[in-house]
Amino acid sequence: MAEMIEQGALALPQRRGIRFGVLLERLSLVAGLVTIWWLLSFSAPPYVLPGPQRVWSALSIIAAHGDLWRNLGITFWRVALGFVLATIIGLPFGIVLGANRRLGEFFEPVLPVLNTVSSAIWAIFAIIWFGISNATTIFVVFMTAMPLIITNVWQGTRAVNADFIELARVLRMPDWKIMAKIYLPTILPYFFSGARLAFGFGWRVSLVAETIGSSSGVGYRLRQAADLVRTDQVFAWTLTMVVLMAALEMGVLSPLERHLFRWKKEAEA
Amino acid sequence: MMPAGEERTAPAPCADDTLPISLSKVGKSFPGPNGARLEVLRDIDLAVKEHSIVGLLGASGAGKSTLLNIIAGIVKPDRGRVCICGARSDELNDWCAASYMFQDDRLLPWRTAVRNVEFALEASATPKAERVRRAREAFRLVGLDTFEDAFPYQLSGGMRSRVALARSLVTEPKILLMDEPFSRLDAQTRSHLHGELLRIHSLMAMTVVFVTHDVEEAVLLADEVVVMSPRPGTIREIVPIAPSRPRDPIEPEVAAYIRRLRALI
Repeated sequence: MAEMIEQGALALPQRRGIRFGVLLERLSLVAGLVTIWWLLSFSAPPYVLPGPQRVWSALSIIAAHGDLWRNLGITFWRVALGFVLATIIGLPFGIVLGANRRLGEFFEPVLPVLNTVSSAIWAIFAIIWFGISNATTIFVVFMTAMPLIITNVWQGTRAVNADFIELARVLRMPDWKIMAKIYLPTILPYFFSGARLAFGFGWRVSLVAETIGSSSGVGYRLRQAADLVRTDQVFAWTLTMVVLMAALEMGVLSPLERHLFRWKKEAEA
Repeated sequence: MMPAGEERTAPAPCADDTLPISLSKVGKSFPGPNGARLEVLRDIDLAVKEHSIVGLLGASGAGKSTLLNIIAGIVKPDRGRVCICGARSDELNDWCAASYMFQDDRLLPWRTAVRNVEFALEASATPKAERVRRAREAFRLVGLDTFEDAFPYQLSGGMRSRVALARSLVTEPKILLMDEPFSRLDAQTRSHLHGELLRIHSLMAMTVVFVTHDVEEAVLLADEVVVMSPRPGTIREIVPIAPSRPRDPIEPEVAAYIRRLRALI
């Protein structure tokens, strides 16, 4: 088998970077930012810019009362529900719009319009329709995430390779198997990036919705803290959200994406 | 192979036909520019004997690929009769499965090599365990025993072609149809794969029909070379290649065939 060892036969995927070095870089970045913050906090009164120690103690108090986890849980649950609903509606809609040219052309103008409507507008509508309730936040997350998911899935259906369909047809594969074995794997990367975007947006707009249309959740607590000029608490909530989002992104989504799409050739510089 | 002599216009039942592939009076045209019909094939009579290797040779536009697609049942002929193992080509027949190998390897990038081979068995309700067993078997048959779990992007062109070949063989076809199968490979890899194909052919006792525009490839592999001429595609001549395989293009007898066929196309 002389040709087995031909032309660069098996390009083994490179072990990803020098992980430890990257970690060190990230830590020093965080340390640097906290230091700048600490220094700046001397130049302003604490109700304008509280220092790290003050924010930390505010955070400890919130955490100790169980307030932190309860409100985070409520917000997370609302975002997740809105997101799941957006997926349940968006995924099949995107596939149908992509598969049916006429329908796709008919609905094409709707998506850019939906995407340009500000989340604040959805929040106002939500309050008119649902009042102060869970549904308000869920609705806003849903309206923000759904068009993003549809757009991406739609794009994915356009990327389906006609040659692969031909291959499946020659093998006399039934239509539903072609859907499952050719369409879905092609769409998945597009869906995933859309879903990631939608989830991130969902988090952000959920706070907007909660500040005006809710009596619980992180957004509600943020507004409360702001009304009472407890800037240290505002910082504490903000910091928690940022850390949580970063952890979710780096700890779950990013590794999941790397695993799901390990078959993709990494773009080389 | 002999041109079937009988005159027939209407498609007749195939039941009396015992040949793996038999075509009579096959014609096909496609819609051309400004509404005109473009005649691609005219009066094709072809009889392929069991276990033989037949090369369809001709310049581009001679309708070779269309003819192969008609045999595969992908394209319907306008006229004439196509019989595969005594059945019409568009009928599904399980006892005489045909496999089709494309010009490109057409591997699904999100599946590992061995899962790509398995794909050919997923059209039917073959149980997973059996699929895996047969895929691994086909994998070894084409001379690949490692790299089962490599993704297509990690494989060289020659290895990808082997995986595509394994995918065509895993269904244990009686007929293997190949559309310029190794044309995108470099000469050396290609010659390796020719050897592999001949080895597998004698091992599995299949009938092979392949399309090529390469005279040397046709002479090295085929029992019979069908020379086609273009516009409309017709069979100019059917040339049996006498020397036993493996053949070397440097041998005078083989070289003579190559010269003769070059003159014909």
